[in-house]
Amino acid sequence: MSSSLPEQTKTPAPAGVFTLVITGAPYSSQAPQTALHFARAALAADKRIDRVFLYGDGVHLASSLSTPPSDEPNLSEDWAAFLTENTIPGIACIASALRRGLIDKSEMQRYELPTSNLRAPFEIAGLGEWVDSTASRSRILYFHKGD
Amino acid sequence: MSTLIIIDQPPYGSWEGREALDMAFSLAAFDQPVSLLFCDAGVNWLRKGQDAAKLPQKSIERNLAAAPIFGVEALLADSNACDQYGLAKADLLDHTSITDFGPELIDCFNHVAFAG
Repeated sequence: MSSSLPEQTKTPAPAGVFTLVITGAPYSSQAPQTALHFARAALAADKRIDRVFLYGDGVHLASSLSTPPSDEPNLSEDWAAFLTENTIPGIACIASALRRGLIDKSEMQRYELPTSNLRAPFEIAGLGEWVDSTASRSRILYFHKGD
Repeated sequence: MSTLIIIDQPPYGSWEGREALDMAFSLAAFDQPVSLLFCDAGVNWLRKGQDAAKLPQKSIERNLAAAPIFGVEALLADSNACDQYGLAKADLLDHTSITDFGPELIDCFNHVAFAG
């Protein structure tokens, strides 16, 4: 993020519905945890989250194989549980995901890969999902890795 | 609904900028108005005559040159960043406009997103 970002003076969209975009990877950034804290607080304040979109390194959050030590939080598991509990779609960008080895069953077959590792309820889809949010009245929040 | 995508990272060091470019192209593909702003070290994306063959990576110059064809409305270079890196208009890709990155610019867009 630029340190010289000018302050936004206009509200981009009403703060009733949020789309969260996570681009920071779990364990190498705080982004997924911060986003989860925000998401819980938003729902507790009767706001709605229409979609969580994983982009860039954020797609690692959707791995079913991440296995941290038992005394550390399992961020993928925590996020998957939150999405399931609240029936919020979790989408991993297909280009980001394939590039980084996050694979669902149909991509496994398409590319004849030995395995798949996408954790339910995450799904793989295109950037069109994010475009849909930009064209809607949702307010989009980005959770980056920070510098 | 117009979107400004801001790239403030230098080219080739990571995939964040490329993925931000994909976001811009994706909006354009869905006929959503989008512009790209390059600031801080990100302004180096706009240099003419890039050769990334030895990295090896694809030159982003070609991608950016295609941006207007794909429907990206403007390639904007922050004037402070241009000064900082000694870049004049002639050093930058065609179709680039030099602009001041400030609240007036931000207010022209409904949606502003940073690349990573």
